[in-house]
Amino acid sequence: MTDPPDPFTALGLTPGPDLTDEQVRAAWRAIATATHPDRADGGNPSRYATASAAFQVLRTPWGRSEAYADLTARNLINFRHRVLPPPAPAARVTISPWRALLLVPARIRHGRPGRLALRILAAAVLTLLVLRSGAPTPPVAGLLAGIATWLILTSRGDLAPPPGR
Amino acid sequence: MTFWAYLRFRMLMWGLRTAGRFLRVVILAAVLIAAAPVTLVTAVGFAGAWLRGWPPARLWRAAAWALPMTGVYLAGRALHAGTWRAFVLAPVRDWEAAWHQANAGHLLTAFALCAPVAVPAGLAVAGGLWAWRIYAIETGLSGRTATAPVVFDARQWYRQARTARARITAPGTFPLTSRDGRIIMGSTIRAVGHRWHPVTSVPYAAMGRHQVVIGSSGSGKTNLMMRSWAGWYSAALRAHHQHGKPRPLLIVLDCKGGPDSRVKAERTRRLLHGVGASRVAIWPDEANVSLWSLPPADLAVTLFQLIESGTGPAAYYADVTQAVITLAVTAPPGPPTGAAAFLDRLDPGWLEAAYAGDRSRLAAVSAARRHLADVSLRYRTLLSRLGPGLDGPGVLADADAWYFVLEGTREQTVAEAQAMALTELVAHAATARDTEPRAILLACDDYSAVSGRVPLWQLYERGRSLGVGVQVSAQSWQGLGRDDDERYRIAATADGGIWLLRTPYPQPVCELAGTRRIIETATKMVGNMWGDEGSSRVQHAWNVDPDIARSLQAGQAGYIHGGSCTWVQIARPRPSPLPIAPPPPPPSMIIPPARPGAHAQPAPAGPAALDDAFTQETRP
Repeated sequence: MTDPPDPFTALGLTPGPDLTDEQVRAAWRAIATATHPDRADGGNPSRYATASAAFQVLRTPWGRSEAYADLTARNLINFRHRVLPPPAPAARVTISPWRALLLVPARIRHGRPGRLALRILAAAVLTLLVLRSGAPTPPVAGLLAGIATWLILTSRGDLAPPPGR
Repeated sequence: MTFWAYLRFRMLMWGLRTAGRFLRVVILAAVLIAAAPVTLVTAVGFAGAWLRGWPPARLWRAAAWALPMTGVYLAGRALHAGTWRAFVLAPVRDWEAAWHQANAGHLLTAFALCAPVAVPAGLAVAGGLWAWRIYAIETGLSGRTATAPVVFDARQWYRQARTARARITAPGTFPLTSRDGRIIMGSTIRAVGHRWHPVTSVPYAAMGRHQVVIGSSGSGKTNLMMRSWAGWYSAALRAHHQHGKPRPLLIVLDCKGGPDSRVKAERTRRLLHGVGASRVAIWPDEANVSLWSLPPADLAVTLFQLIESGTGPAAYYADVTQAVITLAVTAPPGPPTGAAAFLDRLDPGWLEAAYAGDRSRLAAVSAARRHLADVSLRYRTLLSRLGPGLDGPGVLADADAWYFVLEGTREQTVAEAQAMALTELVAHAATARDTEPRAILLACDDYSAVSGRVPLWQLYERGRSLGVGVQVSAQSWQGLGRDDDERYRIAATADGGIWLLRTPYPQPVCELAGTRRIIETATKMVGNMWGDEGSSRVQHAWNVDPDIARSLQAGQAGYIHGGSCTWVQIARPRPSPLPIAPPPPPPSMIIPPARPGAHAQPAPAGPAALDDAFTQETRP
């Protein structure tokens, strides 16, 4: 069963509670003049009847308010069928250390691989220089530890954050 | 004493002083040359700090991180040295060897021999010198002109901001949360009173309390708030998984509305999905909530408060309205399940049928009969204006996050009523005992646009009493409340901190942050020159400099907490591009099922159905 047309549409008005008596009367007069059964061409009796009924409803502020509320309530019913959007896949934000290790290549790929490569290259050159410096083992070992510390500390910024963070 | 004797004495004194100065310079030069590797590292560290606006702490941290190098070097020397004496003298021997190598032209070998000790020592000395330089400039002990402190500060701010802007481009340095669950906000520009750390983060607990965000349009407020929401959600979700804390529920009230709000909502959703939120609902475009899910007593009060009721003679009608609403909502068949059902009840016939047999209530219905049509009209109009978004079927617990778009700019009165109803729903969600407890953060963006019915301070204090974290934002100090009492009440109780972005009137917030003691040196002018006489005294300076706050660029903010301030370059919020792992299989029961209680919703009952029920009940 279809809903009957709302009185606002029947009079060609935009639904709203703020319409004035004059606006409603003018709309009704226009339709009545064009569709009255006493016209020479016979008019449009069904259209005239619909507009007359609508005018009876909308002629007073009270009636307009009621009609507007009914219209909104009708929309309400339609809206009730709307539900929440489908959920995104549920997620687990904690990851095991093994999985974290496996994710490192992906983190490099999604981070700043160019910069990381430059950083590693710089560390490699420094390492080479230190190894070729001819210094005894203790200072060389210390410097290599320093280079490794620098690389580890600074390269973290070039990786993409781990999942969930 | 003759004049010539006096002159000789003065010349002698001048000669001694000059000789002393020369000797001091010579000794200093000798030390610098003798400790050339340390001198070199110190010079590089000092220049780096000056050029990049680093605080001394940055150099000291670098020195500390260089200590593993020294440790490995000393361990190696300990293995090689046969005696304690040889071990202790090893660095000296290496330094000596380095000089020989340098003389022979082997600079690389010379540096390698000295570096394990020279690098941390040089950085530490550079930090000390840089701290002294800052102190001397700030107190007026150094600098060639009277404007030196001002110029130095302005130049350092520029460099600090530039360094912070460059630092936030590193994706791995600025995830949304740190490993220990702190919410990372951005790169530190300058810390005043707070401990300096290159990355500014706030503890998860701070977001569970109350925060205020003040910043004009285009100051980067949206990015800051989104980052804090996503960070809070991520930290809270981890606390839930690891420590069994309540599941997070983020509720955002975007009180401006319009297309921009929809864009923000979509961005927020993408961010939250990235940090593990599975269901993010955008209201009213995609999802709706049910005001009718409130307990009957609360629902009656809320419905009554939604209507403007005046004072004086109007109070009589207000009482009548409240009585009618209470009769309609608390009727024996249970509370209404929707707007239509509620409006159906504002009818004498329905109420008389519902309360048949209850003489006192029937008397109340009779007394209110002649006002029922008016009350019905008012609510019909109100509910139609409020729209369908509050008519169910959703409840807040359905989603992990809700983004409510209130058209505060276009339809202020409607948005005010909607905000009021939504805060009631949040309060109910926070206190409901028959549902799963949730850790709730209520974030209100530009709440001043809809604060006509529920003043901000009321929302704030209510959130505090309910254990809900509340984050409110306003475009200016004036936007926080109607008068200064309200504004101070909100800002002074923001124990989660105040975020201050660019705003033309930051003074009240700066006053709240307080002052710190500084040494101010006044120097005597000799003609047009700065003389060498003056005096120093203790003065007070703002912890939050209003001039800095006024001239902040987009994305720069001050985090004021505990009477101290950290200026931050906020990093744009981006979730990790890596997919989150699927969840483990759920245990047999996580949440006990809600027991059917007083708030259970009966099936909607129209007057016809009621007639049947009462007929059966009264049938002999």
